[in-house]
Amino acid sequence: MRRPLAQASLFGVALIVGMLLVGQLRSQQRPTEISSLNAQELSELVDTLGARNRELRTGLADLQETLRGYRLTGPQGQSALEVGREDLRRITAFGGLAAVQGEGIVLEVDGNLDAIALNDLLNELRNAGAEALAVDDVRITQRSVAVQGPVSLLIDGHQVGNRFTLNAIGSPDGLLATMERPGGIIAQLQQFIDASIVATQSDRITVPATSISLVPTIAQPAQ
Amino acid sequence: MSAAVSRRPLRPFGAWGVSIAAALAVVGFVGAIQWNSSGARQAFTTSAQQTLARQVTALEQEQADLRQQIEAAEAEVRRFQEESTTSSAVLEQLNQQLAAARLAVGLTAVHGPGVIVEIADSKRVVPAGENPANFIVLVDDLRDIVTALWASGAEAISINGERLVATSSIYGVGASVLVNTAFLSPPFRIEAIGPDGLLDAFQQHPAFRGRVAQRIEFFGLEFATQVSGDLTLRAFVGTTRFRWAIPLEEVDE
Repeated sequence: MRRPLAQASLFGVALIVGMLLVGQLRSQQRPTEISSLNAQELSELVDTLGARNRELRTGLADLQETLRGYRLTGPQGQSALEVGREDLRRITAFGGLAAVQGEGIVLEVDGNLDAIALNDLLNELRNAGAEALAVDDVRITQRSVAVQGPVSLLIDGHQVGNRFTLNAIGSPDGLLATMERPGGIIAQLQQFIDASIVATQSDRITVPATSISLVPTIAQPAQ
Repeated sequence: MSAAVSRRPLRPFGAWGVSIAAALAVVGFVGAIQWNSSGARQAFTTSAQQTLARQVTALEQEQADLRQQIEAAEAEVRRFQEESTTSSAVLEQLNQQLAAARLAVGLTAVHGPGVIVEIADSKRVVPAGENPANFIVLVDDLRDIVTALWASGAEAISINGERLVATSSIYGVGASVLVNTAFLSPPFRIEAIGPDGLLDAFQQHPAFRGRVAQRIEFFGLEFATQVSGDLTLRAFVGTTRFRWAIPLEEVDE
């Protein structure tokens, strides 16, 4: 009698241990479910998603404008040519295939930035809404990443010295505020890296087209 | 005789007793940890947080809807342009340029050989005194992987289906990750189309070996790679029209 009772007790204890362990493992998982993010993270997420959705709405309105153009003119003729040319200007500017000009900020960097630091700077600028970026005269495209070369950093095969200029076209106020906020990217980098980074607003920045070919040779259009 | 009789029942009781005591000790220990963490989690569910969480859900829903509309509108624009290819030589040439530009900048779905890299949070129990953030995939891990893939010759990359383009950022909000406009959760699946030897070059690249490879080893982040003969990557869905940057061609006009 005692043996089955003991076995049952042990089973019960093992079951509870198992359930608690599963609960514990689940509780230490990343809080990626929205309900488990803290208030500050949720608030930041609301701001970020709100801003991204505003961008999407603007993009959608522009696309609908292009469509209206085609619907009015049909796919043929001079007007279709104009709509197509406008579309080509938009796409080549977006991807770095064409030079662009506009307001933004200029970062004058002097110091020993490593590849990670430079890539972090570029990522932060993109996240802050930079539309076009160039390190010295090298246009940053989707494929452009800083890597450590034999003697200096390299971007798209071009050497980047200890002193360089990073041009970013976008909202001058938004970009500058993001770069210079307390605890922001510049503050973080200056804490760990011996470098001076000075950001200034500019009302006319020219960012060149990329000098590398972005036409894929392996990737093919999917149907 | 009587000594033997009195000793016999004690043996099984002693063995079970030790087992049960050990098991109860484990129950107590894990229960205490569980109690502490559930207290912290309960604290998250304030009414303000519930409101914010509802807003996030609504914004995600709105975003899904906007992206669907953008995809449909892009497809219709492409249809107009494809229909016009026989109308005139100038228009045909323009449409070829448009198709090539779209392909180059990530606005066309592509397929080809490449690699799949998967990374997820560690399944290890976080030891006492360790920072739990070490055991989850951080935004820096994804950036390092992407940097190493581009530097190794990748031609097109996506993270959980989000195609990377010139304006893409990989951004951390707390422990969560935003790529382009999308809020992504682990496991993260990074797909890259590129040349033969892409996986070897990626695994040897300093951008991968420098930080993320060490975190995989030290903290047990789940990690797997696979070479694929034919991957398909969706086109970028999002805004492609600039507000601040004006094509120089237009400035000069």
